[in-house]
Order: sequence, then C-alpha cells, then structure tokens
Amino acid sequence: MVAGSTATALQSLDCFHCGEPVPGNSEFTALIDGEQRPMCCPGCQAVANLIAGSGMSVFYQQRTAFNERPSGSEQDDTFAIYNDTSMAQTFCSIGDDGTTRAQLLLGGITCAACTWLIESTLMRIEGVSFASVNLHQSRLDVRFSTEKIRPSELFEAIAALGYTPRPFHSNARREQLQQEYKKDLRRLAVAGIGMMQVGMFAIALHAGSIQGIALQYQSLLRWVSLLVASFVVLFSAKPFFITAWRHLKQRTLVMDMPVALAIGIAWLASVWATVRNTGDVYFDSIVMFTFFLLLARFIERRIRERSLQSWIDTEAGLPDAVEVKRGDQWHTLPRKQLVGGEQVLVLPGRVIPIDATVFSGSSAVREDAFNGEYFPRTVNAGDSVFAGTVNTEGLLELTAAGSYLQTRLNALQRSLDSSKHKKPRLAQLADRVASWFVAAILVITVVTAITWLQIDPSRALWVSLSVLVISCPCALALATPAALASSANALRKLGVIVHGDNALATLASCNRAVFDKTGTLTRGRLSLARIVTSPDTTQDEANSIAQALQQYSNHPIAAAFTQTQQLPTLKAVEVVSGAGIEGSDGTLRYRVGSERFCREIAPELEAMPEGEFHWIALCATDRPMAWFGLQDEEREEAGPLIRQLHRAGMQVEMATGDSSGQAKQLASQLAFNDVHTGMNPQDKLSLVQKRQSQGDVVVMVGDGLNDAPVLGVANASFAVATATDLARSQADFIVNEDDLALVGTTLTHARKCRRVIRQNLVWALGYNLCALPLAATGSVPPWAAALGMSFSSLLVVLNSLRLQRQGAA
Amino acid sequence: MESLYLLIPIALIFCVIAIRLLLWAIDNGQYDDLDKEAWKILADDIEPDKPAPAAQTNDQVDADNGATNTAAKLDGN
Repeated sequence: MVAGSTATALQSLDCFHCGEPVPGNSEFTALIDGEQRPMCCPGCQAVANLIAGSGMSVFYQQRTAFNERPSGSEQDDTFAIYNDTSMAQTFCSIGDDGTTRAQLLLGGITCAACTWLIESTLMRIEGVSFASVNLHQSRLDVRFSTEKIRPSELFEAIAALGYTPRPFHSNARREQLQQEYKKDLRRLAVAGIGMMQVGMFAIALHAGSIQGIALQYQSLLRWVSLLVASFVVLFSAKPFFITAWRHLKQRTLVMDMPVALAIGIAWLASVWATVRNTGDVYFDSIVMFTFFLLLARFIERRIRERSLQSWIDTEAGLPDAVEVKRGDQWHTLPRKQLVGGEQVLVLPGRVIPIDATVFSGSSAVREDAFNGEYFPRTVNAGDSVFAGTVNTEGLLELTAAGSYLQTRLNALQRSLDSSKHKKPRLAQLADRVASWFVAAILVITVVTAITWLQIDPSRALWVSLSVLVISCPCALALATPAALASSANALRKLGVIVHGDNALATLASCNRAVFDKTGTLTRGRLSLARIVTSPDTTQDEANSIAQALQQYSNHPIAAAFTQTQQLPTLKAVEVVSGAGIEGSDGTLRYRVGSERFCREIAPELEAMPEGEFHWIALCATDRPMAWFGLQDEEREEAGPLIRQLHRAGMQVEMATGDSSGQAKQLASQLAFNDVHTGMNPQDKLSLVQKRQSQGDVVVMVGDGLNDAPVLGVANASFAVATATDLARSQADFIVNEDDLALVGTTLTHARKCRRVIRQNLVWALGYNLCALPLAATGSVPPWAAALGMSFSSLLVVLNSLRLQRQGAA
Repeated sequence: MESLYLLIPIALIFCVIAIRLLLWAIDNGQYDDLDKEAWKILADDIEPDKPAPAAQTNDQVDADNGATNTAAKLDGN
C-alpha cells in the first residue's frame, strides 16, 4: 500500500519540486520546460524558477527522487562568516596550483541528479575551476580562486538551489568508516581476481582428475593454485579469523567461527596434499567461499552506511557565527571564540548559540529540543535561555553563562555518548546456530575418522578432511547478510533507510513499542482547523490578512498560515512578544493574536468559540474579523498503525514531554496500553531501560532532539518524517517520507525477513545434512564439493532476493 | 604441454598487474562513490541548456527576492 503512495506521488496536486501536497488554494507555479507546474510554497517556486531560468530544467527529467523542501531560514548575511580567515581555515586549504580547495557538507541531496545540478551550477560561476559532489558522503569538493569569488558566494549559490551547505569537518569516526570501506573493497578485489585465477586452474585440475593428467602438470597447477589461494586467504579472509579469535577469547561462538574453521582447515589440508602430492585440493572452494561471503557482507554494509550520518552531534545544530559585543561594537565572530560573560545578540528566527541569561529584550523561545513542546516559553530580562533553542519573536541581548562544554545541550550529547554503549545486543539466530553447527561437525568428523580407521586406515585422513570441507558453511554464513541486504534495499525504495547493525532481525522480535507524541503521532506543527468569521468578513479576506501579518513572525503559530496567495502589502508591521502581530494597510490597522491583544482595538470581538483548539483572533480597527482555531493535528496514519501493532501482539506505550491533557486524551483514543506524560529525555531513557530489564524487547519511535538518547538505547528505533538530524543519527531506521504508516510496513518487512533467514538456515543445514553422509562414505570428489557449495549459496541468495519483490510487504 | 611452464607464470604476472591496478584505483578514491558514477555513466551527455540571457537575470532577481521575503515566514516550520 505504501509502494502505491510513492508511485502516485506525482499527482497534479503535489508540488513539482518537493512532492509535498500543494495547499488547496495555492497560486504558486513555475514554468518548467514550457509547462506551468504546481508549487507548494514560494521557497520551492524560487528554487524551481532558478533551475529552469538557468537552463538546468533537464534536472527534473533526470532526478529519481523529489527534492527536499527548501527551509529558507538563511538570512542574507548568514554565510558572510565563512569569509573570515580563521573560519575559512577550518574547511579550506590552498592547493598546489594556487587555487583554494574547500570541502562542504551538503544537506538535502536526494539523488545522483542533484550532484549534476550542483556541479553544473558551480562550474558556471567565474572563478570556480573544479566542483565535484560525493553522493555517498554528501560532500562537495570545490576549487576556486579567492580573487574572483568569496567562499560565502559559493554557499549562497548552493543555498539558492535549495540545498543546505555547511563546512565539512572530518572527524575520527568518519575517517574510520572511509578507511574500512576501502579495506573491504581491497579485500573484495583481491578475492575476486584470485577466484578467477584459481577457478581457471581448478577447471584444468577437475578435468584432469576425470580424464587423467600427467603428475607433473597436476603438481604445477596445484602449486600455482596454492600460491594464489594462500595470498587470498592471508589477505582477504583475515577478518574472519580475527573475529573468530576475538570471540573465542570471550568464550562465545559466532558465525565467523565455522567460517574460519572451514577456510583454515581446507587450506591446511590442500597445502598438505600439494606438498605430499597425494589426496585432494580444495583451493577453488576456499577462494570462492571467501569471495561470496565478502561480497554479501560488503553489499549489506554499503546499503546500511549509504546515508549514515554518524558525525552529526548536538553541536552541529548551533550557528557557526554569532554577534558578540566587543568594546562598544557588535562583531560577527566564530561561535568557538565566545567566552562566558560576553554579550551576544540573537535575532528572531535564529538558534541561541550558548546557555545564557537575557540581558535585555523579550521574546519567546521554542525549547522543543529539551521537552518536545512546540509552544514557546516567553522570556524577559533576567530569564535563562539554553543553547540549541530557537528565538522566535524579538531581538534578544544575552549574557553568555559559560562555554559550550557547560551547556545543557552538551550534557545531552554526553548522555547520548554514554547511552550508546548500553544498547543491548540480541544474540543473532545465525550465531546461535553456529555454536551447534561447530559442535556437530566436529563430532561427525571424529566419528568418521574412527569408523574409517577400522575400514581402511589409509583413507581415514582424507575422508574426514572432506567431511570438514563439504560441510563448508558458505550458505549458512550467507543466509543472514543476504536477507538483510535484500530487505534493506526493498525498504529504501519505500523511503525507509535501515542503518542499525542487524536492526531488521532485532525489530522482528520486538514485543513493546514506545512512541513519542509531538511530531511523531501528531504532525508536530500547528495547523488551521477552524475559521469562524464575523458576519461582514469572508474567509478569503481573513486568511489573506492573517497570512500577510504572520509572515513577519517566526512563532510556531505563523507556520499554520502558509502563504497560499498573493498578499496585500502591509506597512509598519510590529511583532509584540507574547501577544500578537500588528500591521497597517494605510487606512486600517490590523491585529492578529491573543484575545486581549485584539480586544484593545476591537472591543466588540465575540467571545472565544467552543472547541478544544488553540484560538487566536484577527481584527481591524473598525471591526473584529475572525477567530482561528489551531491544533497540532494527529497523523491519520497513527490510528491504523497502533491497531496493526496490537494485532502483531505488541504492547504500545506513549512517552511524551507534553504534560497537558491532550496526551492522555490522544492515548486513550488510540488505545495505548500505557501513557507517560511530562517526561524529560532522562525519564524516557529510564523508562525504556526499565522495560528492557523486565525482559521486553523495545522499539522506540521518535523525532526530536530530546528523543535522541532513547533512540540510541532502544533495541530498535525509528526516526520519523521531520526528525532532527541528531535523532536520525541515533536511529536504526529513518523514515524519509512523511508517512508514519511506514513504521508498520517496516515491521512487516522485518518479520518477513526473519522468516526468510530461517528458511535460508534450514536449507543450508539441510544441504549439509544430505552432503555429510556422502562425504563420510568417501564418495564426494573436490569438484562436486565446489559445485554443491556454489549451488546451495546461490539458492540462499535467490531466496533472499524474493524480499525485494513488489508487494513483498 | 611444456608451454604451461611459461604461460602460467605469464598469467600470474598479469594477475598481479590487475590486482595492483585495482588497488591503486581504490586507494585513489575512484570507487568511493559508486552510486553517483553509476548514474553518471548513463547520463554523460546531458548538458545544461544555454540560459536565455535577458530572461535569466530577471528570473534570478525575482527568485532571490522571493527567497528572502519568505525566509522569515518559513522559519517556523
């Protein structure tokens, strides 16, 4: 059902640029390739016009995913700070040819065509000599001449295309991932080429053992196979041995143990056979096995790491540039230079860079980072404000309390770092099978050896060795990664990114789900639910005046009034903190906001209408105009999802920072088993840990900064829709589409994936069960062993591919 | 069949060369971004149209203004 929604997303009523629904009465369009296309907002319109206007409209034919809706939060001078030498040094360097090289991290890249758009646009700018976007890392490498263009202009050019640029700082984790990726690829390359070589020699050897071959040539072919295979075993198969050994020291058996045993023993036996010129060699099986296994693991890892954002930390959300008072002057300085006691200026709409007390000014700050609430707290001189919260209304002059390390935000980061290691690991099915497998094979080998010693002592060694080689756990080892990779790929097409290790297998065994409320079960933003107009006012009129006024505000209420039409121009607009907005069209003054604020100019305003909404009024100096009822709308997918989870036998709980009655009401309406209100990030963490200690396997669904620690500690976790970058970096699953139902789809997929893993394991074990008696009776030649291994592996892979079929969910 | 003593070592030399080349390419970062290159090879001949000079400047000015005007309002999202 979700596949359907993706396929039909491009209806006439969806924005051509970002794919989000266009508000019913929107007047925005853009002319692309001679056709007027609908646009949802002026932000998308501006970007689309720029793309079409600069002749890049072929981008729209080439892209394979919708763009992100531009946030449009950058003011004109946002990027000027990057011209500052000390700031520029952190991401720029001077190349050999005298050009400046910069690395930027780009937000909002959704497909390969985006890289083309950015590269082509930048290459047209005079002074830019090279531009290349790395899609895998969302990183832009650009070379330019500082005489012709300033760094801030590059940032502006990218921002104008609707992407969010920021300096790329490499860190240890990212470097490590990159190194591991290269190492994996090197191992895979060597195993692949080695497999082809050894395979060639093996065909000659197998043909020889059927037709007859002169001993000297057999010996030659065995020696060169030995050479190549040994290199592959030492170079490519090294990680299997290391992992097996590490776990053996901890007295646990994992899947790598039988793998290492099989490779090691088969290699030793083949070397022995080559040196002594007797028995059988299995070099081709060893190398093929190594290659298959490396390939499956490489693919599985690559799908998971495709959009891994592990470098994102809480600090990334803070602005790089701050306005600081030095002497009597305001200076724009890098945030890192800020020290406690200094005066900081924060414009409305900007993120507060540091924990501080308000020195002068009054405003409302949105603290959803800490409590998940979207309604801002009003602050006045003397109140405390915290880094990472958003100043919504007025200009604030702050006195910084200390450095970043002392902020509440950093404390959140620390609890994140410490909770990361507390994530409980479930023993994987394959690993449990592995221990039984190793034991069984060893017992069977010993029994075979003893039996053959009675029958024919000269063959005892070679028959028991062939038992070990035939029981090669290739299919067994492939069973899990092949199914996980296949499922992850299918989910990616539906808009869910899997990046937790073994997350799908874990999700399938979850028996308890914990949901955040704001932003997860609800849309997390106010929307207009009711309009009650006065008798002499039309809805259109009321809407357009309200929209015209609200566009000057950053208050969450303003977001409910998206611009849908050309608006009247208002002058002398003033935002009164904690009350509302006032403006004039030359003849009349208008006010939108609280009841008291409006009644001041229109005393005859009717009483506030009934209904569980957040009501605001609109009036003009001569008459009251309307009441607007706002609410944080529940997602329509929430109800069906909770019912699905109940049917799947899960307990469903709500844990929210909201302490109002709305949470309880929503919980009972959606039939939650349990509800916890007024919770801070630490409370949520303890709740989930308590459940885990009671033996539950918990899946957490959340979106906010305050959910990040608990997402990290739950057995499986989802970051949904508009989740903050930090929450995304902690979650095992990232739902990219604005559709909560995908959580249910993922669960169905996970269970299906577990079923396929079980089938694979049963098949692999079954194959071994059939082959073992044959090997134990001494009737399996090496070529049959190699063939059997390949076919059983192929079957496992094909079975896993079924997970990718349409409608597999 | 004695030629095998010559041909197999030659094959091995080629094998070593192939591995060295591949490892060099990997270290050189040529395999760092498989998704993009996979797309690019199919879309190699796509060129941006020449922008219409007069229209473009106007559009761009409009677009820029649009972006700034709405900046404040969209921020609430």
